[in-house]
Amino acid sequence: MPLQARVRGGVWSRNSRWDDETIMIGGSISRWTMTYFAAALTWLLAALALMVAGIGHPAADLAAPDTLVLVHVVCIGWLSIAMCGALFQFVPVLVAQPLFCERWALPALALVTAGLVSLLAGFMALGARLPSAPWLLPLGAVLLVVGFGLIVVDLGLTAWQRPSGPARFVLVGLASLCATAAFGAVFAFALAGWAGRIGDAVLARGIPLHAIAGLGGWLTLTAMGVSYRLLSMFMLAPDVEDRKSRITLAAGALAVATTVGGGAAAVGFELGLNMVLSIAAVFGLVCAALYGRDLAGIFRARKRRQLELNMRMAMLSFASLAATGLLGIALVATRTLSAHLGAFAFLAAFGWLSGLVLAKLYKIVAFLTWLETYGPVMGRAPTPRVQDLVAESRATKWFAIYYVSVWMGTLALLAAQPGAFRMAAAAMTVGVVGIIHEIIRIRRLEDVALPLRLPAGAVAPHLLFAKT
Amino acid sequence: MTDYLDVDARPILRAGGEPFSVIMAAVGRLQQGQGLRLYAPFKPVPLFAVMADKGFAHSASELEGGEWEVLFTPVGVERETTPIAASNSPFAPWPEPVVELDNRDLDPPEPMVRILAAAEKLGPGETLSSLLRREPVFLFPQLEKRGFRWLGGFRPDGATYELTVRAPS
Repeated sequence: MPLQARVRGGVWSRNSRWDDETIMIGGSISRWTMTYFAAALTWLLAALALMVAGIGHPAADLAAPDTLVLVHVVCIGWLSIAMCGALFQFVPVLVAQPLFCERWALPALALVTAGLVSLLAGFMALGARLPSAPWLLPLGAVLLVVGFGLIVVDLGLTAWQRPSGPARFVLVGLASLCATAAFGAVFAFALAGWAGRIGDAVLARGIPLHAIAGLGGWLTLTAMGVSYRLLSMFMLAPDVEDRKSRITLAAGALAVATTVGGGAAAVGFELGLNMVLSIAAVFGLVCAALYGRDLAGIFRARKRRQLELNMRMAMLSFASLAATGLLGIALVATRTLSAHLGAFAFLAAFGWLSGLVLAKLYKIVAFLTWLETYGPVMGRAPTPRVQDLVAESRATKWFAIYYVSVWMGTLALLAAQPGAFRMAAAAMTVGVVGIIHEIIRIRRLEDVALPLRLPAGAVAPHLLFAKT
Repeated sequence: MTDYLDVDARPILRAGGEPFSVIMAAVGRLQQGQGLRLYAPFKPVPLFAVMADKGFAHSASELEGGEWEVLFTPVGVERETTPIAASNSPFAPWPEPVVELDNRDLDPPEPMVRILAAAEKLGPGETLSSLLRREPVFLFPQLEKRGFRWLGGFRPDGATYELTVRAPS
């Protein structure tokens, strides 16, 4: 029997010699992913410095300009930029298609960074830390919308080509990013006094909608989708059944849609938001519970018993997500949610999202660095394993310091102890600096034994971008 | 309006057959100005180049369940009339693999390392085959940079990916 008839499914679909369309299949290394990661980690350090210095919540009110600075450094500078960097690498792999336009990645990063700087300056002007300049906020919003717009179009058109399991999560996440940015832009224009009566109404009551669409829809749903594939890949488990992950996503998407659609209608008709947010919260909890069920399934079905550091640390972030859900229920039951919103958001942003991103960065950087350096010589010269690029025992303690101090910080916020919170933030900084140091060592191949480090034909990677 | 002759490659492939000759026979039967509508269980990309040489433009659309409908429409002028020799055809059989690897239970990226190491030892035109759990997307660029050709696809159960790599001849 001819070979082609035996190998079905992809027989004609893949071979670069025949057609230009098949040359790129989404398995190459994204050139700017490391640049995004470096920018994101820089913003994370900036956020930690603000928290250690006592700028923003809890030293200031939740709606104070200083808090807005801190929140946007964390959510845009750190989490969103890191997530976009990961998606530029991950989405093409997910759908086995090349990125719609690789060339947009770097200008998009520049626009988002410039927009964020302008936005932060605008907030500082609001708080009288800078001279008044009302145009800063709208300018920041426009730059951010254009920058994220490039990213959304690029990733969205790529994911759209094969919208299966995890790619669907990314698409809903990108839609939520659009909603978040739209609300944010209206706020920015309203704060500058350029948005009229409707803009003022949205600003007065729309902030929870903006926050839920961003933290819940964009960051959480995207992180969930990405984790499905990464976990099953690295633990040798079958992918989660499409039907199951689709229901999980539906619950999450309903939570976001209820918040954004119902919330916007409530603002428009001058109705209360409580009913809308309660319904959204139920969908959100169902989504988190179903996600927990899906993860448990992956862990049960895994072939690889011994877990790597990134996976053990990711479990701590899943525990933090569960704790965030329970904390939310407890705060609502005791009618203290508004008093402790800061603690709730802090645990979601640092325990769940930041913890997961840091744990996965540790693995992704090692894998991409290994592939970039040793891929070209593999099979021709002895090469190290991916695990030879990392020193897990040394890195474990930095992650442990990080998670313990995040949980301590949450308790300090709940107990309204700003001093203790600053100490926890200082301890988080120690953990994060340690993790960044490990990541730089990975990039520089410093933990690879010398005889294997650079075989003939291999080229040392650049710290900030991929050469191939 | 272009009139199209339908060819369904799906049952042929399902039965383990090779549809290339059937497609070419259908092309031979086409009347002046007539096009070909092909149904396939996957996007038949290499066929696009073959048909382009025969003067047909293609437009492919995905159907339910990952299957494809492709319209080959004559563009007027036949650019090349020489029939494609069987040996140059992308559908000419490859030799049986000299190495067979079962990499299904290896931790990633170990399957990639083993396949590249084994591929480097192949003689000109020889093939190796490997069983995998996933589509090895990071392996493909490495194979292509080294001039290897490859064919791959999931078995009907969707759990085992079968890859064949051919050394440059």
